[in-house]
Amino acid sequence: MGQFIQFTLNGLMAGAIYALIAVGIVSVYKATRVVNFAHGYLIMFGAYFYYTFAVLFPELPSAPDWLAQWEPAWLLAAREGLPMFSPMGAVLDWLANLPRIVFGLAGSVVACALLGRLIERTLMRPLIGQSTFAMIMITVGLISVLSGAKSLIWTADAAFVPHIAPNTPIRFEVFGNPVFLFGADVANVAIALVMFVSIVAWVRYSKGGVAIRATAEDQQTAYSMGISVPKVFARAWVLAATTGAIAGAILATRNGVSPSLGLFGFSVLAIVLMGGLDSYVGVFLAALAVGFLEAMAQWQLGGEWAEVVPYIAVLIVILIRPHGLFGQKEVERI
Amino acid sequence: MLEIRDLHLSFGGIDALQGINFTAAEGEITGVIGPNGAGKTSLFNAISGFYQPDRGQVLFKGGDITWLSPDKRAGLGIARTFQNIALFRGMTVLDNVKLGGHTRLKTGLFSALRYFGAAQQEELAFREEVEQRVIDFLEIDHIRKYPITMLPYGLQKRVELGRALAMRPRVLLLDEPVAGMNREETADMARFILDVQLEFGTTILLVEHDMHMVMDICSRIVVLNFGQQISTGTPQEVSGDDTVIEAYLGRAA
Amino acid sequence: MINGNLKATYAADERMVDNRYKQFFVYGMAVLCALMPFAANNYIILVAAQMGIMLIAVVGVNVVIGYTGLLSLGHAAFLAIGAYSIPILHGAMGTLGLPEGIMPFLAIPGAVLISALLGIIVGLPSLRVKGLYLAVATLSANFIVIFLIELKAVSPWTGGVQGINTPDANLLGWELDTQREMFALIAAMAFVTILAVQNLFRTRVGRAFIAIRERDYSAEILGISLLRYKLMSFAISAACCGLAGALFAYFYARILPEQFELALSLQLVAALIVGGMGRIMGPIFGVIIIVTVPEALKFSFGMVAGGSADVAAFRAPLQEIVFGLLIILFLMFEPLGITQIVDRGFRAINRWPFARG
Repeated sequence: MGQFIQFTLNGLMAGAIYALIAVGIVSVYKATRVVNFAHGYLIMFGAYFYYTFAVLFPELPSAPDWLAQWEPAWLLAAREGLPMFSPMGAVLDWLANLPRIVFGLAGSVVACALLGRLIERTLMRPLIGQSTFAMIMITVGLISVLSGAKSLIWTADAAFVPHIAPNTPIRFEVFGNPVFLFGADVANVAIALVMFVSIVAWVRYSKGGVAIRATAEDQQTAYSMGISVPKVFARAWVLAATTGAIAGAILATRNGVSPSLGLFGFSVLAIVLMGGLDSYVGVFLAALAVGFLEAMAQWQLGGEWAEVVPYIAVLIVILIRPHGLFGQKEVERI
Repeated sequence: MLEIRDLHLSFGGIDALQGINFTAAEGEITGVIGPNGAGKTSLFNAISGFYQPDRGQVLFKGGDITWLSPDKRAGLGIARTFQNIALFRGMTVLDNVKLGGHTRLKTGLFSALRYFGAAQQEELAFREEVEQRVIDFLEIDHIRKYPITMLPYGLQKRVELGRALAMRPRVLLLDEPVAGMNREETADMARFILDVQLEFGTTILLVEHDMHMVMDICSRIVVLNFGQQISTGTPQEVSGDDTVIEAYLGRAA
Repeated sequence: MINGNLKATYAADERMVDNRYKQFFVYGMAVLCALMPFAANNYIILVAAQMGIMLIAVVGVNVVIGYTGLLSLGHAAFLAIGAYSIPILHGAMGTLGLPEGIMPFLAIPGAVLISALLGIIVGLPSLRVKGLYLAVATLSANFIVIFLIELKAVSPWTGGVQGINTPDANLLGWELDTQREMFALIAAMAFVTILAVQNLFRTRVGRAFIAIRERDYSAEILGISLLRYKLMSFAISAACCGLAGALFAYFYARILPEQFELALSLQLVAALIVGGMGRIMGPIFGVIIIVTVPEALKFSFGMVAGGSADVAAFRAPLQEIVFGLLIILFLMFEPLGITQIVDRGFRAINRWPFARG
């Protein structure tokens, strides 16, 4: 029982992160009707940018010392007498890393935003109004370009990136069973949830969000209502890129920085389709469900099966409900 | 030949067809008219098999085809043209027309892969037949190698008729065959439709807005308004019917 | 179309190779392929053999994406099935005591058949969904197949992640253990495949595929059973890819699961887009580009780097970028591929000196 709860919690936490990744895909789709097959690679760039700003830059000889390791006197003093793995020690370690964590996140967000803007400008503008096939294939081409570009810029695979939050183990009991969570994981999930909810709220209630929904319904009408459709497109892509940056940073802290991060994009694509392409709620539920199922697969069948869970799940869902659990069926006029 | 019995069709809250009853007699041209939104295309879609009715039946030669899929109905000999031309744009006129005859050919996958032999013979024989029966008949031989996108609207409509004819249909459903045509083109098309009736004895069901043409060539007319059948009869009877006049022109205030 | 291409009988009109240029090309290629095993050097044979294998696969992909309009992104899975069938079937036949000389005659059709069956299964989602959803469904199928191959449980038969050695083809005693000899087989198979697939489009089967691509409800109205023809299309394309995979297995001494991952599927589709979808020559042009570009890159890197390992490390990522750019640029500027460019060229030549532009 205890194991079940442990795995369930792990799975749901992973699911929350998938949801954050998915929100980028759904937002771009809502605004532009384009599904970005290369989103996973945007996330990979987010992870690598985080690595660059949080690890590479601070370690340059020209970087200020405090960036790499902030160690004011009071911190060192507080650390003096503490045992190796104490919670307080983890918090202080985190504080020492804080400058570069912040620098890393900020740098990643800015860099990804610029990247998103660039992609939208050069690739997506010409695509407006073209067929589904053209749209999919251009983003598929983008996969190769991003993958190759990443290998050109950063050649080595790095392993260590500073956690975003203190990495203390948190122990507590659920129904009398001991459960382990890492503070960093919980923080990651909290960030993911907060971002998810705020984006959904923004799309629902803010002027910019309404503009996105209007453009999604009918570009022509939105234009004539005074909505700048190109601006909406740009905003949607920047939104996707920035969520990608945060998601990438989070994934980097969990799984390490490596090219295989790109493959997350496909499993999240499967999740997005399962939930229904334009439904945030559906996608959120699908993400949690897949996270849970992956954890269960890992528990019962071993790690390798967990990889393939989203793909089996999407096939099953498509057979039962071809447009995803919460998606809207497009009606073709005969 | 084709009988519609008490047909009811609704989409959500909208009752598209409420109790339609009529028979398209064999070898005759029956017209279906009514203001926009009356349910004419819905009726055609139900006959073609795209919609399943809530109640009622579609009978073909006495047999119930209400639940048959569209491709099986084509196999029985029910052909159709569409309001917005549904030709295959990537192909030539000849290929489009040949597609009409799909149900009458027998070539399967393996004989197609080999081609030389049974498939080739069938293809060549079919080509001859299509050229004589359809392409020469509709006078489109000069454009048969042209891609559809190059043709003017009127010719495209004619090609669509040709494609339906290649099936050698027993029943031909024509959905607004002269929409958007001027008087000359309409006269041409009407002539071809009459030729089809005379030459091949096809039962024709016609949806159209052009009253002159409808009154000229149809032997019976069914009038729909808001999904209901408000009149049935010969062109004279229907044009004199008050309810029909009211539906089209409104009532004097 | 006024192009001086006049025929006197319907039979002549229905011919595939109906004008001088096409005849020259086809017979010329046939002669070239016949002479190559004797005259060409090893490098050219290797490149040509790779082209041949890829060509068979892309012809298959052209059937399902180009002609039938079904967006299938997972064809590497069928190549994998075809390739892995060879060692597995050979093993099974070996235990049954069959002589080596007839094994390929059973193994190759076997590989093709198994791939076709898998193609039908993978094609099932196409009956429910279109476009985007179908693309993701086929992608998922690709991932699942590769995963199953790598599964530890079946590694006695598949060799798992490390791959498995593959036998040489032995045609009734003639052992094809050199690349030259295999090239002869590959070239012959390529010709047969292209001919067979093109025959399809002279009959109602091929026309039905095109009808489904253009407007599937219209096709239904004409009596074309979407179920039957969509699955047929998938089966044919999977069969072609399976054949390519089988030849791949015989050609190389060893196969690994990582050769059949998503990257290969993307290469196949890239070849199709660059060459031109839904046209006979599309796969041919596409494969030429997709195979020569990496070789050209290797060459130029060799010249520039001169053996320096650092610079050489940039080659693989640069190749990826070039592939991606090829897809993107063609889609933006010439979505109908090289065949369209060639078409325009021929039309201009035909009309010269009358037409301008």
